[in-house]
Amino acid sequence: MAQAREARTRRMAALAWLLAVFAPLAIAQQDRADLSRSLPSSDLSGDTVAATRRDLIAAPGFALARVGDNPAAPGATPVGERMCIGCHQLEAEHFTHTFHALGLHAANKADASIPVCETCHGAGSAHAREPTTKGLIIGYTKGSQTPIEVQARTCLTCHEGGPRDHWRGSVHQRNDLSCSDCHNPMAKFSAEGSLARGSINDTCAQCHRDVRMQFDRRSHMPLPEGQMSCVDCHNPHGSLTAPLLKTNTVNETCYQCHAEKRGPFLFEHAPVRTNCLNCHTPHGSNQHALLVAPIPFLCQQCHSHQRHPNDLQTPASLATGPHPDERLMGRACITCHANIHGSNAPSGPRFHE
Amino acid sequence: MRDRRLHRTLRLLPLATAVAAAMPVQADSGVGVDTWRANRLHPDAGVSISAPDERGTSWLAPGQRRAPTGNLYQCPLEPAPPRERGDWIGHGVLEVGAIATSGDDHDAQWNRYVDWDSGLILGLLDYTLERPDDGSYANVRASRISDDDEYYQAVFGRAGSFKVQAFLRDVPNVLSDDAKSIWNGVGGNELTLVAPLVPAGSTRAEVAAAHAAAPTRTLSVTREKQGIGFSMYLTPRWTLYANATNEDRKGARAFGGTFFFNFPFPDNGGIFETLRPIDDSTVNLNGGLRFAGPVWRMDFGYVGSFYRDAYTRFTYETPYALYPVVPGAVSAPLTIGQFATEPDNDYHNLKATFTRKLPLNGELSLTASGGRMRQDDDLIAPIECQGVFGIGLEGSLALGPQNPFLFDCADWNTPDALSRRSADMQIDTTLFDGRIVLQPSGDLTVRGGVRWNREDYRDTYLAFNPRTGQYGYVSENGAQGSVVPGEIGFWDPFGNASNVTRVRSLALDLETTEATFAADWKLGTHDTLGATYTFNRFEPTHRERREVDAHSLKLTWVNRALDWLTFRANYTYLTQDGDRYNHDPYEHTFSMSLPGFIALPGGVLAHTVDALRKYDVSSRDQNKLDLMATLAPRADMTLSASLRGEWNDYDAVLGRRGYDTLGFTLQWEWQPSPRTSTSVYYGYDRSSLGIANINDLENGDDPTLGGATYPLEGRWWVDDEQRNHNAGATFRHAFGRVRFDAGWNSLYSRGITSYRFASPVALAYFSDGALGIDRFPPMSWRVNSFDIGITFPLHERASLRLFDYYERASIRDWHYDGFDRVRVIDHRVYADGGPESYDANMVGLLLRVTL
Repeated sequence: MAQAREARTRRMAALAWLLAVFAPLAIAQQDRADLSRSLPSSDLSGDTVAATRRDLIAAPGFALARVGDNPAAPGATPVGERMCIGCHQLEAEHFTHTFHALGLHAANKADASIPVCETCHGAGSAHAREPTTKGLIIGYTKGSQTPIEVQARTCLTCHEGGPRDHWRGSVHQRNDLSCSDCHNPMAKFSAEGSLARGSINDTCAQCHRDVRMQFDRRSHMPLPEGQMSCVDCHNPHGSLTAPLLKTNTVNETCYQCHAEKRGPFLFEHAPVRTNCLNCHTPHGSNQHALLVAPIPFLCQQCHSHQRHPNDLQTPASLATGPHPDERLMGRACITCHANIHGSNAPSGPRFHE
Repeated sequence: MRDRRLHRTLRLLPLATAVAAAMPVQADSGVGVDTWRANRLHPDAGVSISAPDERGTSWLAPGQRRAPTGNLYQCPLEPAPPRERGDWIGHGVLEVGAIATSGDDHDAQWNRYVDWDSGLILGLLDYTLERPDDGSYANVRASRISDDDEYYQAVFGRAGSFKVQAFLRDVPNVLSDDAKSIWNGVGGNELTLVAPLVPAGSTRAEVAAAHAAAPTRTLSVTREKQGIGFSMYLTPRWTLYANATNEDRKGARAFGGTFFFNFPFPDNGGIFETLRPIDDSTVNLNGGLRFAGPVWRMDFGYVGSFYRDAYTRFTYETPYALYPVVPGAVSAPLTIGQFATEPDNDYHNLKATFTRKLPLNGELSLTASGGRMRQDDDLIAPIECQGVFGIGLEGSLALGPQNPFLFDCADWNTPDALSRRSADMQIDTTLFDGRIVLQPSGDLTVRGGVRWNREDYRDTYLAFNPRTGQYGYVSENGAQGSVVPGEIGFWDPFGNASNVTRVRSLALDLETTEATFAADWKLGTHDTLGATYTFNRFEPTHRERREVDAHSLKLTWVNRALDWLTFRANYTYLTQDGDRYNHDPYEHTFSMSLPGFIALPGGVLAHTVDALRKYDVSSRDQNKLDLMATLAPRADMTLSASLRGEWNDYDAVLGRRGYDTLGFTLQWEWQPSPRTSTSVYYGYDRSSLGIANINDLENGDDPTLGGATYPLEGRWWVDDEQRNHNAGATFRHAFGRVRFDAGWNSLYSRGITSYRFASPVALAYFSDGALGIDRFPPMSWRVNSFDIGITFPLHERASLRLFDYYERASIRDWHYDGFDRVRVIDHRVYADGGPESYDANMVGLLLRVTL
């Protein structure tokens, strides 16, 4: 107990120390001299922006923010946030509490050429003239008449590259998903990530309820418990693999949290090294330890060696039967072949040691 | 000691990185884990604590809008009332209170990743400061619901400029709550028998008594992780990130242990479910530089991982003596078994991606990646024993020519008995990926890609004892050769020239090549069609096939013709085949490959039957269907339906023959007003796995199916059928300022493993053929959980939440049938009693204060 208390105290102290070290950095960052701006203000409603402007430089992440390009309203011109708020007051109030609002408002104060609403929704004059005509503003809702690719392209104006480098060609892009199927930056719906639902997992479950249900099974990754998310393994924005894995292979993905399985071991078990999913199902299983099938039958898919591995066992070999057999009871095969993921023991070629 | 020092140094790296602040980072959707910190109390990290805004989303239109696919957006939450603190605006929530659990609240499954504990808890602390002038922000979020389930994180930064985050978190994994140990030292790496048990000198009754007297204990492993991250814009185009974490795992879990079979040798051998220690740590690092320009994009990244185990091995004492199968002979008194723990390992990976925009709205992307995973752990000795091991044929344990199957421990109980002292194993990985996309017209997009991935083993291990000149190893802690003369695991060209044993490690080099060609057509504004052809060549070394080729065609259709429906359909056909199947590619790792090996007159035992096909390299045909529909029956409702199926037909007489899955889901959501929302779902899925195998009739060298060794009457078949019914519902409603919420979640799983056989020869026990039984008891898991809560306002900024969470589960896993009564069965000793049904409740009272 004393050790645990000491460890906890040490960790809390470390956290406090980190905050103390980095807090000055946060404050210092606002004084950076940066890029100049040349475009005119998008706020056509007045000069209040200039009046409230301070001697701050827009953050570099917003330096490229411009009025979104809406092909459906080629002649539209920017009208500025105040005009938007004239009709969309409640939306604006919710939006104010989002991360996008914090950044865009600050950027707009520093550089009035950086729009707020119109960064994402495009120039608003045509929409303001004909508010009931769909498509004159870039919409992110079903029936908005804004093509999915225009929606995605607008988001990627600021968010291109990095984790979204392989969006084009990903299974989500090719199935016509929009960024706004998963994200809703108009209000704070999630603690992080500007998600459409309360969490990453709930967001994914909108379409992948079948996968989410697997996590309710007897053995599962700690996702229902909130301890991990789908994005720990998958990059929904596209990756180098078809199932959107974040790493190059299935095993590399598993090793992120199960580094002890990486080895390489003195004696390897071939299907383990090839693919963890040869024996495990990744989301949930009604077998022990996310196994695909009950042992010994899981193992007997591949092992028909002479002597003991290829016998067909029956319930009579259980502890309640007439001839209990260690090849069936409890951990079955892996009672003896315990180091089944590979053994580093010189006497472990059969994973006994 | 050197490794310990290295490890301590590595654990300091996250802090050192933070201090230097020269390496920015962030765990994002592109790299690393730790993307979400929450717990079972608030899986959404507490965002739903706030009430929906009664004013709805917009003054212009009632109700909620829909995402492009058709799912209703949620009603925005009531904005937190901010408090100005100079230039800063602060808002947040503090939730503290107490929970009390009852019923079977020690059950492992109930506590699995939570470890509920009655007492005071910090439900949530979430406080944010924002400075609108420049977009700076800081946030602290924390929760602690038990000693082993807590997280604390702090984030600060400036929107569009930089972000720094640090976190600490503990995650429990409760594995068993009914374990019993006949050993002292659980959690450490030396298990010694409890008194009065004596190594190699206890009777079955004494072991059973000691087991019965042992206290019931909980087995769990807790992960304690600390991490920092930093990311920043260097310029509007360049960003930099870096992450560092350290995770310690501590605890114990059920494992194994063997001193040779018990089933063919009553009152002999030893089968042990030991309790192995988990005491390790892993440092993970990643960092990179990204560029996003109008023409070029670049991504340079590094990922590193450094795993360190506190132990190189762990040992356990056996209570049982061994007896040789030869009358008049004696066995050596073996007392200690051992396991090597997972080796310390280092991993590095570098990756670079270059993407360039092309004419025709195209893009070309090239990625190169290289990695290395390496371990050089000290190797443990082949056996832990003193004196002799093996069998004294002439009735004594005196070494000499009269006892050819008796061996001197001193020749094998030291690392000097190995061909090298450390493992020195390494795998290098290489990846090249290129892909191009072109859009020659607004309606047509074509894509192509090539991917090449390789894993190269850089070393092999030769099992050779320079002290004796023998090859091989000591089987089962010396037990096998102490029961059956000659089955010790050695080979030498003199006295044991016909022994078949492993003498080399297996290098599993692997090369994968994938080529893809795809096209998407937009047919009008409502339909998108897609087709993808993929060729995949899998070239493993030292496997049953050298080449496995898979061709697949995937068709995609997305339809939005109806305002109230979005429909997506994907169908894939895959066929996999390969070169000649070699049922025994492993001969080079056995003593048969050594000069001087002499086959017995009956030949060498066949490695396996020739008709067996290992499913990862087997030929197969696959059909896969995925249908998804999102409907809007009313403006305030969403109905979602999906159907997914996969049918795999393996070209295998023996091995996996088929694996089919089919399932559907239905979801209904209704948001009639900001005050009320409800949802219901149901899902069903089934899977069917078909396996065939064969029992050998006699030991022999004939691998032929239907031959002398594997006669057809030894064939048997197993079908494993799984069924899952999932259902759930949620309901939320606000009665004035009092909010009510309720939820139900249910799963009923049932698995049936049935079998049939050509004749009783197929069976482990011939007599079972007359039992008239063709299946195992159902493997079932039925869980129902209910939660109900009510939140009362106390003050403008305070409310009280009273809630109850009840869960009832029944489980049956036939592996553990009878373990509730007995776990010492002849010379088998089991620690874990298996999963148990439970009925548990948690009630809580939480005070919420808006900060």
